[in-house]
Amino acid sequence: MEKKKKKIKPSTILIYVFFIFMMVIYLAPVVWIAMTSLKTRAEIYKNPFAAPTVFHWENYKVAWEAGKLGIAMLNSLFVCVVTLVLTMLLGSMAAFAIGRMRWKLANAAMVYILIGMMIPVHCVLIPLFVRFANIGLSNNLWGLILPYLTFSLPTSVYIMTGFFRSIPNELLESACIDGCSIYKIFFQIALPLSRTGLFVTGLMTFIANWNELLLALVFISDGNKKTLPVALTKFVTPYQTNYDKMFPAIMIAIIPTIVVYTLFSNQIVDGLTTGAVKG
Amino acid sequence: MDKLLRNKTAIFIFVAPALILFTVVLFIPIGTSFYYALCTYDRTTRSYSFIGLGNFQKMLTDPNMRIALKNSLFFLLFSCISQLIMGLLLAGLLTNIKKGRNLFKNVIYMPCVLSSAALGLLWAFLFHAKVGINNLLANFGIKGPAWLYSTTGFITLPMWVIAFVALWQYVGQSMMLYMAQISGISKSLYEASYIDGATKAKAFRYITLPLIKPMVGTAMSLNAIGSLKFFDLIYSMLGDKTENLKMDVLATYLYRTGFSSKGGHHYGYASAIGIVLVILCLLATAIINRIFKTENYEM
Repeated sequence: MEKKKKKIKPSTILIYVFFIFMMVIYLAPVVWIAMTSLKTRAEIYKNPFAAPTVFHWENYKVAWEAGKLGIAMLNSLFVCVVTLVLTMLLGSMAAFAIGRMRWKLANAAMVYILIGMMIPVHCVLIPLFVRFANIGLSNNLWGLILPYLTFSLPTSVYIMTGFFRSIPNELLESACIDGCSIYKIFFQIALPLSRTGLFVTGLMTFIANWNELLLALVFISDGNKKTLPVALTKFVTPYQTNYDKMFPAIMIAIIPTIVVYTLFSNQIVDGLTTGAVKG
Repeated sequence: MDKLLRNKTAIFIFVAPALILFTVVLFIPIGTSFYYALCTYDRTTRSYSFIGLGNFQKMLTDPNMRIALKNSLFFLLFSCISQLIMGLLLAGLLTNIKKGRNLFKNVIYMPCVLSSAALGLLWAFLFHAKVGINNLLANFGIKGPAWLYSTTGFITLPMWVIAFVALWQYVGQSMMLYMAQISGISKSLYEASYIDGATKAKAFRYITLPLIKPMVGTAMSLNAIGSLKFFDLIYSMLGDKTENLKMDVLATYLYRTGFSSKGGHHYGYASAIGIVLVILCLLATAIINRIFKTENYEM
């Protein structure tokens, strides 16, 4: 080819125009929430699409206090971090036993766990609610952690099993010759080698539980135990909506996810796709 | 080595926590749920009395159940079809460009990881009857419809609005699945077809489409289950308003029957709705898998 650049085809230009249009559709709402969160209520009603003239940062403070967002944020963090750590630990333990150790029922155990992926949470909502109310787990953050953990495990077991199976045999054997116990092999060799998998499962678990609404809505009625998504829905009441407080609250709720997503978007997108396919 | 890997105690320690958790939090409650579905719950004595299939008979004549079922099936059909078309279109176009592919992909996927409750509030504002989009339309002298407050039609307007919002939020997932499958197709197949004089569109029709058929099945089952379980967006966009009864889907109706402050605590009936939901999920998956069942081609 003598020419310095290939000729750009009109179809390619059309595709780019289309995707730039899509970008606007996807990014504009987020930008617009950010803008609106800095406006006064009167401004929002008068001209919802204009940029704010003065940045009312105090909106965030008001929303934070009115919606008890600080405590909701802490609750969400507590629930998500505990679930995340337990999912990674229990999930990889089970995955190691299923994927690497030799026993007859390994496949049956895998099927048993994978069935869990197909069951909608709605189906166990009422029995769990009734049971938890009886044993003091309603209005208790551990009452959220248990089902979150259970519903996060299948994906993590599925992904981690794949990672453990891809560890070469020689590595484990040499450790065995050095006299490692099976626990040492798991914690000091298999787990560190599969940290990519751990990272992906961790991200997925965190995102799914950070956004979970239905269980949190049903199991928690105490205002001091509410998680972030539930606290958000309280900004809308049947008779009026405090938009000037609602938009800062939305921002507060989605900023952590946006930050995590921007940092790790490739891993998240790939991980969620693999996680979704096995179902 | 072999002895180490057959260590029964270690195996037990490794799997037991997960399996016990599954049994206690998932499988036993499912059994209980089936039992509750056959009972009626008395709120004052807090007891369940067995009534056989009474709850399911009641469903047949319950107008609210009919609305919830209708809306859920609407979401099911809409999301299966719209996600297939949009997902394939986006994936097909994205695999054709090099620069910016990653950026476009990640931006379109972004709403999938954001909280539906938060995004629902945003869209509820945009489709508010007075402010939001209608305010913009008013500038051009157009009087917009009442959007989320409209209650006419077989499928009411709010349902259409929410269906489109759901498409906006979740199409990234289908797009990603299709992209993963398309990038697995060997380039030589396309080259061969171009030599034979095929256009891009023809190559898409006769090579890409047949080869991603299995993935269409997977993606569509995911959409189907997702749309039947649909709760967050509807709850945050419409709120817990009983006047919105015409806008129930199965999940919100289950929530209302079981837990609403007004007229809740019908645990038996709510469990029965849960059973219907599970059966629909299984049915939809089975039908979709039957339609898209294919022999695996060499790629």
